[in-house]
Amino acid sequence: MSTAPPDTGGGTWTAGLRDRLSRTVPADQLLPDRQPAYVASWIYVFGVLTLAGLIVVVGSGLVLSFGGAIWWHTSSLGHFVNSVHLWSVELFFACMVIHLWGKFWMAAWRGHRGLTWVTGVVAFVASIGAAFTGYLTQSNFDSQWISGEAKDGINSIGVGSWFNVLNPGQMLMWHIVLLPLAVGVIAVLHILMVRRHGVVPPLGDEEVSS
Amino acid sequence: MDSVFDAGKYVSWGVVSISLTNLLVILAMVVIFVLALVIPFPHDHESPSDGGDA
Repeated sequence: MSTAPPDTGGGTWTAGLRDRLSRTVPADQLLPDRQPAYVASWIYVFGVLTLAGLIVVVGSGLVLSFGGAIWWHTSSLGHFVNSVHLWSVELFFACMVIHLWGKFWMAAWRGHRGLTWVTGVVAFVASIGAAFTGYLTQSNFDSQWISGEAKDGINSIGVGSWFNVLNPGQMLMWHIVLLPLAVGVIAVLHILMVRRHGVVPPLGDEEVSS
Repeated sequence: MDSVFDAGKYVSWGVVSISLTNLLVILAMVVIFVLALVIPFPHDHESPSDGGDA
């Protein structure tokens, strides 16, 4: 590969996008193999544990989609995959909340990292939506009870005609298409922001690491 | 036969009511959070102690 300065490409959109991407996250920051010394703490592990949990959630969800929404009621294999899906979600949320606590108490929005913090918050909120629609797609009395309770809350904010929690088909589509897509895209943006600005240093350590 | 209202134990404190299971999960997360802060992270003794360049 050439090491010459980047070609502007004569103003084409592809060259412009390439230039923008390379300026947003330079290649040497995208997949680093070294980190600052302060990253050697267990509290910094929970971000990547959250990402690992998300990968298992999506993977087990993809397997469940082969068998369908009621597969886990009739098959021991389906029940196992459904349990993997459930418990990976539990670990995903537990790790994400501990990650959130750690980042909150170290004020991780410092050093132009505001967008990193905001994309994390949005990913958290989108994940809650994905989890709640998951409860609605269990195809059992639990999901029936939850949808019956949830409809009043959804109607009270005036969106019940567009987001009908009593419609299992609509909730399934939100759960397996729209919300996972939203969580995935936001998670990628969040990680790109982390890579762009680096891992936030401990409080009072900014001048050492900058 | 147990009714659904017998399923699970709840802890009530004023207006706060939470299932014992959820409370234990939250407490476990707090414990893990504290342990993550205090337990030393294993270091590679061959690496310089001032870390990398990221």
